[in-house]
Amino acid sequence: MSSLKTAFSGYVRYKGRAGHWAFLLHRITGLGTLLFLTIHIVDTSFVYFAPQLYEHAIALYRNPLFMAGEILLVFSLIYHGVNGLRITIFDLWKPEWWEIHDERKSVLLTLIVAIVLWLPAAAIMGYKLLEYGFGFFGG
Amino acid sequence: MLVTVKILRYNPEKDAQPSYQTFQVEAEETDRVLDLLEKIKGEQDGSLSFRRSCGHGICGSDAMRINGMNRLACKTLVRDVGDQITVEPLLGLPKIKDLIVDMKPFFDHYRRVMPYFISDLPVPEDGRERLQSPEERLRFDDTTKCILCACCTTSCPSFWANDQYYGPAAIVNAHRFIFDSRDTATAERLQILAEEMGVWRCRTAFNCTEACPREIQITKAIAEVKQAILSGKV
Repeated sequence: MSSLKTAFSGYVRYKGRAGHWAFLLHRITGLGTLLFLTIHIVDTSFVYFAPQLYEHAIALYRNPLFMAGEILLVFSLIYHGVNGLRITIFDLWKPEWWEIHDERKSVLLTLIVAIVLWLPAAAIMGYKLLEYGFGFFGG
Repeated sequence: MLVTVKILRYNPEKDAQPSYQTFQVEAEETDRVLDLLEKIKGEQDGSLSFRRSCGHGICGSDAMRINGMNRLACKTLVRDVGDQITVEPLLGLPKIKDLIVDMKPFFDHYRRVMPYFISDLPVPEDGRERLQSPEERLRFDDTTKCILCACCTTSCPSFWANDQYYGPAAIVNAHRFIFDSRDTATAERLQILAEEMGVWRCRTAFNCTEACPREIQITKAIAEVKQAILSGKV
């Protein structure tokens, strides 16, 4: 069995607890952000290399689907950052917090903090999405 | 009660791919999953293969994935997992037959960290034991409990993705000697664990700690080794 197949099989089928889900969410949000950054670097480079394509790219960003994706992107960035801080703090300064009880609580706390930090941005972006994307609020 | 046991079977001489086979077994809720496997092997299908030895959670032979999580079959009661039980071999090690996996890669990693006492200091004058205070002993007490069942290493996403990673069990056993005040090979072990396939492959997914049947705080031990590598102090 290839390692990639084993890893995916484990990601999906292993019944891990909070830490397993935090690991998966960290990876998904990290890869999602990386994907966005790659696309973003490419489309920004169009300004120089292909200005007409740049206009097209900007139009794509105004697509409601893309705007909804951006709301998720903000969550990805915030969660990845907050969870990264949790791991850094535990690993570098507080290894004693890597005990089952504390760890499970910290995963939940990280998720709550990330959601609280995300909500204001999500509300503003959601408002704009409804306004420009779907014509609500007189948009 | 009637328990349904779904087992991932694999016979390398006949099967191209592993496949599930379901058995119905009469069991008490206080029976262990190991008892169910014994019953199936004894009464229904003698070709079912699995490892077992002591049956009391000490030898570490019967580690397997039970309802998706690594556990010892001899420490898992029917009442803890319900009447629908799925049993699969450990993930990430080559399958030999049914629930038996090849433990060689696991023990190769274990050997790599020199899991034995090393001291270049002379034997005490009275020729007897090297003394240690209770506090010094307590420093590595947790990691002395490992039974090398491989529940931790085969629950680790980093090990699934790359079986060259030494894995939690090897690091736990290194920790046991790194933090032993009598041992003098700390620097060598830290150097081995600072390698590319050492502790830095740990992504703190915490599956190891959750899976350990001996309740060793594995992720904590790994973090302590990381700190020791960074600071050069134990």
